[in-house]
Amino acid sequence: MTDARKQQGEKLTEAEAIERAKQGDAAAFKVLYDLHKRRVYSLCLRMTQNTASAEDLTQEAFLQLFRKIGTFRGESAFSTWLHRMSVNVVLMQLRKKNLPIVPIDDTLEGDEEGTIKKEPGAPDERLAGSIDRLRLQRAVDELPPGYRTIFVLHDVEGYEHNEIAEMVGCSIGNSKSQLHKARLKLRELLRVDRAEKARK
Amino acid sequence: MTCLEFERDLPECVEGVPSPEQQAHLNSCPACSGLLLDLNSIASQAKMLSAAEEPSAAVWNAIEERLRSEGLIRRSEPVYLPVEAKPSFMQRWRAAWLVPVAAALAVVAVVKLYHPTRLNNDDAKQVQQPITSTAPVKNASAKRKPALSHEDQQWLSTVAARPPAQLAKFRSDLDQANAFIEDAQESLQQDPNDVYMQQMLMNAYEQKQMLYELVVDDSSH
Amino acid sequence: MGDAMSTAKCAVRFATVLALAGVAFGAGENRKDLHFKVGKHPAISINNPYGPVVVKAGAPHEVVINAILHSDKVEIDQSQSHNRIDIISHLLQGADQYSGVVEYQVLVPADASLSIHSENGPVHAENLHGDLALEGGNGAMEVLDCGDGHVHVRTLNGPVTISNVRNGHVEVVSMSGDVSLTSVSGPYVAVNSNTGKIEYAGDFGGEGEYSFTSYAGNIEAVAPAYASIDVTARSSQGRVDSDFSLEPKHTPFYAKAGSYFSGTLGKAASSVKLMSFSGKIHLKKRQ
Repeated sequence: MTDARKQQGEKLTEAEAIERAKQGDAAAFKVLYDLHKRRVYSLCLRMTQNTASAEDLTQEAFLQLFRKIGTFRGESAFSTWLHRMSVNVVLMQLRKKNLPIVPIDDTLEGDEEGTIKKEPGAPDERLAGSIDRLRLQRAVDELPPGYRTIFVLHDVEGYEHNEIAEMVGCSIGNSKSQLHKARLKLRELLRVDRAEKARK
Repeated sequence: MTCLEFERDLPECVEGVPSPEQQAHLNSCPACSGLLLDLNSIASQAKMLSAAEEPSAAVWNAIEERLRSEGLIRRSEPVYLPVEAKPSFMQRWRAAWLVPVAAALAVVAVVKLYHPTRLNNDDAKQVQQPITSTAPVKNASAKRKPALSHEDQQWLSTVAARPPAQLAKFRSDLDQANAFIEDAQESLQQDPNDVYMQQMLMNAYEQKQMLYELVVDDSSH
Repeated sequence: MGDAMSTAKCAVRFATVLALAGVAFGAGENRKDLHFKVGKHPAISINNPYGPVVVKAGAPHEVVINAILHSDKVEIDQSQSHNRIDIISHLLQGADQYSGVVEYQVLVPADASLSIHSENGPVHAENLHGDLALEGGNGAMEVLDCGDGHVHVRTLNGPVTISNVRNGHVEVVSMSGDVSLTSVSGPYVAVNSNTGKIEYAGDFGGEGEYSFTSYAGNIEAVAPAYASIDVTARSSQGRVDSDFSLEPKHTPFYAKAGSYFSGTLGKAASSVKLMSFSGKIHLKKRQ
């Protein structure tokens, strides 16, 4: 690698940055950090609701990654490895603070009331097309912690229910039911938010 | 199918394809149809939240500082120890000359590990014969007397007035601390990516630093 | 309330015993009693080169120091700045490790932060919940029934004993002093020893991070069958043994030179790292 390229660390590919980071190259560490910082930080922020905690956890996740980078063999995608590590760091923190990660044995069975409220003559107020990132972000922030964890892991970060169940220590059925309840709650929050805006 | 029955199967519907029965209900029920559309919209729009935020610059600064202090950053940029970056027990420095000594210890460690040709004369005295892959590592439990660096000799001179038995104990502790550092460094020369040995080396330096601080503290009284 | 009464009674009893013991003082010895009023979370610093320092929880908002000076070659310098108290045993001309001895018995509020430095005297801290920083040369260091705060102990050659400390952040650095931890758990427990032995008996609870490292000292950890840990043990030159059948874990690590074992027990709630350069490592199962 030429000196010019060494100076412009941001031009490294991820694979090149990984190899150079194993040799202790500072610029390579920075490249890897810049590539993944937003995703890791956003995850931490969604789960903890606190910027200071999210920054601490982001720092911890990257430090754990960089300490172990010498042993990365490429069996899985680097981003997958980092992301899984970040989730574990956040979940560990939530457990240490005794914050609820997911309610226990809470399923949909037995809920007979239902969500659909029949209002004869009421206009069909769909949300589709009116959800923007900020409104959705605000609504997610208002979710109860257990719902928020599952929603963030599944819908935001893309984990499957079997992966979520393993990470948070619940059943797959529990994960599915919590996700559904989270989405229903978000719908309710977004409709209330839209109605309030319409009144102003 | 009633709305209640439809709702029971709704989770699978959101993440999959409605069955013919479910689709028939959706075609005839605007409320359920609206609900399904909203939930699908929420699920798909949720991806906007991934990687939406950016941490402050302080996060990277803190990471870089830790990487340097742990010896994981070894190339591309000069090694330095900013005074503010010292760990908490370093706040008890009483003798001003110990500050550059701590920095010198870290610099020597990095130089020895990764640029052996840059060793100066003082440091060369401490280096044993290069270890080849076939040579066994020395028996660490045997009492060894590595040669003393200039900083070590300066430190011993500050406690020269102590009783002989105490002085002998300090010297023994110093030899053990140096032996730990040497053995960890030699292991890392064979395998620089050994993260456990990197941690061992940092622990070895922590012990030597404690030795410097505690003995100097006692001398000042 | 009950605790406050009992500690107050303890203080009175303590002072009475000392008063009666006043007649037993040897020639040249004299006693000094100090009282300070403090607010919440006071910070107390005691620097005593020679002699024991015993600190226990007393009444809130009050610091009581009873000191016995073994000669006139040592005096006590005291200062208070609002909530901070500094006590120094000041050695005068001609003082040595015998004539310079001061014996301290100290009662502090349970939430006090303590910093104690003693070269050869034993140090004992009990029933405290603030941050503790203990430093010594050859004397024994004991921390008993403390928790919630940071416990930092640094010793050259004296033994360290830490018992029943929960939910704390514990760090011990020792050159050759043996370190013994019993019923110690919390988010972070770390011991860094050169040749001193490291012995741990507890459940590695608190979903914490446990790190025991030595150069040549042996490491022995005794845990119950129900322990929930993710453990890695490695010694470059010494032998490593485990009484447990560990679940292998998926890890990108590869085995290094030397002896090594790694695996999980239960839900692997806590992380445990046992590392030595040449010492032996043994993870034992509690009988």
